[in-house]
Amino acid sequence: MKRRDFLKVLGMASSATLLSSCGVEKGTEKLIPYLIPPEDGIVPGLAHYISSTCTECPANCGVSVKVMEKLPKEKNGKLQRQNSPIKLEGLEGHPVNDGALCLRGQSSIMRLYHPDRFRQPMKKMGEGAFAPISWDTAFAEITKALKNSNKKHVYLSGQTTGSLKVLFNEFSKATGVEVAPHYEKIAHANLRKGYRETIGVDDIPQYDVEAADVLVTFGADILETFISPVNFIKQITHAKEKGHFRWYHLEPHASLTGFKANKRFTIKTGSEPYVLSFLIHHLTANNLVRNRLPQNILDQIPDVSANQAAEKSGLSVKALNKLATALSGAKHPMVISGGVSLGNANGLLTASLTALLQWTLGLIGESIRFDAGEGFDGVGSENDMAELRNQLNNGAVGVVFLARTNPVGQLTDGELFGKALGKADLVVAISDLPNETTAVADIVLPLSHALESWGDAQPRKNILNVIQPTLEPLYDTRSEGDILLTLIALMRGQQPNLTYQEWLFARWKELLGSDAAVDEFLKKGYAQLPAQRETLRLNAAAAASLLKKASLNAPAGGSVLFAVPSLRMYDGRSKQLPLTPELPDPLTTITYGSWISVSDEWAQELGVKDKDEVSFSINNQQFKFPVKVQPGLNGHVATVHMDQIPANVLSRDAATGEVLAVINNVKLEKTGAQVKIPILAGSMEEGEKREIFPETYEDLEKELSHHNEVKATLYPEHHHPEYRWGMVIDLEKCVGCSACVAACYIENNVPMVGEEEHLKGREMSWIRIEPFYGEDPDKEMHFTVMLCQQCENAPCESVCPVFATMHNDEGLNVMAYNRCVGTRYCHNNCPYKVRRFNWFPPEWPETMERMLNPDVYVRNGGVMEKCTFCYHRIRAARDVAKDEKRKIRDGEVVPACAQTCPAEAITFGNLLDEQARVTQLAHSDRSFRALESMGVEPGVYYLRKEEIKDEEA
Amino acid sequence: MKDKLIPLAIVGHFVSFVAIVLVLAWYWQNYLATPKQPIEFPHYIHASNLNLDCQYCHQYASKSRYATVPAVKVCVDCHETTATDRPEVQKLLEYWKNKEPIPWVKVHTRFREHANVGFRHKPHIRAGVDCTVCHGQVEMMTTARQTRTMDMGFCVQCHRANQAPTDCWTCHQ
Repeated sequence: MKRRDFLKVLGMASSATLLSSCGVEKGTEKLIPYLIPPEDGIVPGLAHYISSTCTECPANCGVSVKVMEKLPKEKNGKLQRQNSPIKLEGLEGHPVNDGALCLRGQSSIMRLYHPDRFRQPMKKMGEGAFAPISWDTAFAEITKALKNSNKKHVYLSGQTTGSLKVLFNEFSKATGVEVAPHYEKIAHANLRKGYRETIGVDDIPQYDVEAADVLVTFGADILETFISPVNFIKQITHAKEKGHFRWYHLEPHASLTGFKANKRFTIKTGSEPYVLSFLIHHLTANNLVRNRLPQNILDQIPDVSANQAAEKSGLSVKALNKLATALSGAKHPMVISGGVSLGNANGLLTASLTALLQWTLGLIGESIRFDAGEGFDGVGSENDMAELRNQLNNGAVGVVFLARTNPVGQLTDGELFGKALGKADLVVAISDLPNETTAVADIVLPLSHALESWGDAQPRKNILNVIQPTLEPLYDTRSEGDILLTLIALMRGQQPNLTYQEWLFARWKELLGSDAAVDEFLKKGYAQLPAQRETLRLNAAAAASLLKKASLNAPAGGSVLFAVPSLRMYDGRSKQLPLTPELPDPLTTITYGSWISVSDEWAQELGVKDKDEVSFSINNQQFKFPVKVQPGLNGHVATVHMDQIPANVLSRDAATGEVLAVINNVKLEKTGAQVKIPILAGSMEEGEKREIFPETYEDLEKELSHHNEVKATLYPEHHHPEYRWGMVIDLEKCVGCSACVAACYIENNVPMVGEEEHLKGREMSWIRIEPFYGEDPDKEMHFTVMLCQQCENAPCESVCPVFATMHNDEGLNVMAYNRCVGTRYCHNNCPYKVRRFNWFPPEWPETMERMLNPDVYVRNGGVMEKCTFCYHRIRAARDVAKDEKRKIRDGEVVPACAQTCPAEAITFGNLLDEQARVTQLAHSDRSFRALESMGVEPGVYYLRKEEIKDEEA
Repeated sequence: MKDKLIPLAIVGHFVSFVAIVLVLAWYWQNYLATPKQPIEFPHYIHASNLNLDCQYCHQYASKSRYATVPAVKVCVDCHETTATDRPEVQKLLEYWKNKEPIPWVKVHTRFREHANVGFRHKPHIRAGVDCTVCHGQVEMMTTARQTRTMDMGFCVQCHRANQAPTDCWTCHQ
C-alpha cells in the first residue's frame, strides 16, 4: 500500500469512528401530544392525587396515590401518553392512618409493577407448565365445571370486607358456590374466640389507646403487625403528647414493640394467665373495678397470689403490684393481649381472661369498641381449613376458587392441603403474583391490582374506603368483582353486561344516599358509616364453662423458639415485593437472608457469636441458620421470623385453630461454620459498629457539655438570606418502624442493589434506622434515624476535588451529580456515613421503570448520592409561594420521610423562622445534635428520649 | 526516516483540520438542523401572520415544567373549518379521524441527555423571559429549529445578567 492510500484510509476510518461514536439520535425522540387536553386540575409535569386504599394487609389504610404523566411509551404499536402512579402516601385525615403509611404500604406499589405478574389467564398443561388462554375460554371451562357437577363448590378468599363481601353473597346465591370462611395466616383465632366465649362477639374490636393513661400489653406487637400498626403508632404518639402516659409491655421474647414501651417485662412463655388471674383477683378483692365480675366466673378463675404469679411468670412481686396499682390508679386504663401471648397452649385462656379483665375494668363498649370492629368476623381459622381439606379429600368438592390467598404456602399443613386440592374437579386461583397455591391450580385468573380497579374496603365496620383506578390495567387482568359478576351472568345464562364499577356505584348510592355523597366519597377517599352500637352483655355461663374446661398448662420450661410475624414481611406475603428485603430489619439491621436471634446468655453457652451458624431440628426437619445475638432476650429464648421458616414447622391448636408461634424444646447446636449475612450496622466484636451516638446517657451528657467550645473554621461563614432548612427528629416518638426508609427509596429513585452488594457494605439507602442498646436494654434502647445532617461546616464539601458537592444558600449540602467523578473523598470524610456511592449504574426491571419519580433524576454509576431533604418538594413549594408572591409557609414543605412517619417524629422547616415549629423544637431542652463536639453544626436536631425515673420495678 | 517526518506532519495537520471541519459540520447538522416533522407546520402563519400568542398552543408553559405541544383537539378546533383544503391540514384531520396523536419530533434535545438538568419553563415565564430568548425567532420559521446552543454557558450568561441564581443546584439536580 502506498503511503498516500494508507493516510486516506486512516483519515476516513478515524472520521468515521468520530462520527459514529458521537451518534446522537436527533430526530428519534418524540413529543406526543394529547388528543384532547386533560380535564381541569391535571397539568402535565405536575402530580395529581387520587384517594384509594392500601390492600397490602388487612388494616386497609387510606392512601393518596401520587399520579404523574410519564413520557410516552409504545403500546399496541401506537405511542401513547400514560398516567403512572409513582408513590402511595397516607390519606390526610383518614381515621385509621391520618397521612401515615408503614414500610409495607410504601413498598406495595411495587406489586403493581412487579415483573412476575400474571399477564393473562393461564391454564395448566401437565406438571408445572402453564399456557395462556383467553378470558372467554377460562370462563367457559369454569362454568362448564360448575354446571356439570352436583358436588358442592367452594370460594375461598383472603380477608374481605365492604362491597366485595356483599357480592360474595350474591355470587353464592346465583351460582350455588359456597363462600368459605376467609383464610388469613394471622387470623387472631384465639383472640376472637376469647371475645366470642365471654361477650358473644366474633370480631376484633378497635382499641382506643389514645385516650388511655396506662396501657398494659401482653405480647401484642401493636407497633409492628398487630391488626392496624400504623393506627396504633399514631395513637401511642398522641397518648404520649397528652403527658401522663405509661405503657407496660409483657412478652416472652424481645420485640420492637416491647423496646418502645416505657417498661418491658420478660415473662415466661405461656404464663400470662397467672398474671391476668392475679390482676383480676387483686383488683376485685380491693374493690378497684368498675364492673364486678359475677361470682360464678370469679370462682372459675384460678386464685393466684402475688407470690405464685411471680414464681410462674418470672416477674417480681413488686412488678406485679406495680402493674396492679398502675391499672387501678389509671383514669383510662387499657389492656391488650395478642401476638405471641395468644399463640401458645394457654392462648385461649389468656384471651378470655384478658376479655374479662377488660370487662371488669369497664373498657368493653367504652374504649374497646366492637361497633368499629376490624372486620375479622368473616375470617375463619386453621380448623375451618382442616374441615375444608377433609371435604376435599372425601371428593365432596367440585370447583374450588382461591382468591388473594395462599393456603398451600401458608397453612401449617399446606402440603396436605395442596394434595387435597388435587381431588377437586377444578382449582381456580385468582391471584396477581405466582405463589405455591397458583402452582397447583388448574386455571389461574390474573387479578388487577387495587390501583387498576374499582372497589371498596372497610378497615373498620364504620368506615368505608374507596378503591379507585389510577391507570388502565397494565395487562389483560380483571378485578375480582368483575370476575364474579361475569360468572354470575354466565351461570344465569345471560351475557355479562354489568361491570363491577356500575354495580359498585349503584350500591354506593344506596349506601350513602345521593350522587353528591358518592362524589364526595370518591374525592375524600372514605365515608363514615353509621355505627351500629349494640349493648354487649357478659355471657357469664359461657365464660364460666370455658374457664372450667380450660386446663391451665404450666409455663413452658426449657428452650423456646418463637416464629414471629415480621415488620417487613407481615405473614410472608410482602416478601414478594422487591423492596422489603432491601430494607434492614430495625432490631438487627439485617437485610437479606435468614437468621435466628438468640439471647446473649444462650449464645455464650453455645459459644457462638453473630454470623456463626447453628443447627436445630423441628419435626424432623433440619435447619441451619446464622445467629444474631439479640439484646433483651432472656434465658433460652430464640426468635425467627415467620417468613424465614416453612409454615409446616408450626403447629395448629386443634381446639381453637390458632397457629402456635411457640416451638418448645428446640436444641441449638453450633456447626462451626460462619455464614455471611448482611448486618448493616456491622458487628460489635469486629469493632465495625458504626457508632454515631454515645452508648449511654452519661456519655451523651459529656458530649453536650462541649456545647460552647470555640470552633474555628478556615472557611467563611455561610450566608442564608431567606431559608435555612432544618429537621428535628424526636427519638422519644420514633418507634423504628422504618416507614421513612421505604418512603425515601420510592420518592428518590434510590436503587435496590441486592444481597451481594449489601454483603460488601454497599447499601444505598439515604436514611437508615440504627438500634442502640444500653447496658440494660429493657430500660435503654433507642432507635436513631440517621440521614444527611446538612452540616453548616460540612466536612464533605471541603474535600471534594471537583467541587461537586457544595453548600447552597438555604443551608443544604447539595450534589451536582453530573460533576461527581467518584473519588469518594466526601464519603471518607463524612462523620455520619450517610453518603452513598453508586458502584454500578442503577437498574430496575423494565416494568418498574414506570414507577420512577420524574422529579428526581436517576443518578449514574460511579456517582456519590445523598439526601437533600427532598429538594424537589422544597422547589415545588417555592413555586407555589412565588406564584402567590410570598415566602414558603411553615409546614408547607414535608419531605417524604416526615410525610409517612406514623409516629409524627420528624418535623421539617425553616430554622430562620422563629415561629416555625422546627425552630421551637430545636431550641427545646431535649434537643441535641449528633457528634456536636466536632463542630460541624448539623442542621438536623434530635430530641432526647424522655427519661422516666419511676420505672424501677 | 527524518525526511519523512516533515511531510507526515504537514499531512497530519491537514487531516486534523479536515476532521475538525467534519465534526463541526456534523454538529451543526445534528443539533441545529430542522428535523423532519410529520406535518410541515408553519409557525410563521400562526405566530406572525395570525399573531397568536405562543401560549395559545403551548399552553402549559406558564403552569408546568413542560411547555408541551398542543393537544390535537386544539388544532382541530380551528382547522375543522379553516384551510381544510391544504394537504398539511388534511394530514392533521387524518390523525384526528384515526384518534391518533401526532408523533412530533423533539427539536430541543440537547441537554436532557447528559447533565441532569431539570429545565423548567414555568419560572422563566414567571420571570418574564421572552420565549425568543431561548427558542429564537420561531415566528419566522415553518417547523421549529434549534437556534441556540443551549449549553451551560448560554444559560449561565443569561442567569448572571439577570441576577438569577447561579448555584449549581438551581439547574443540576
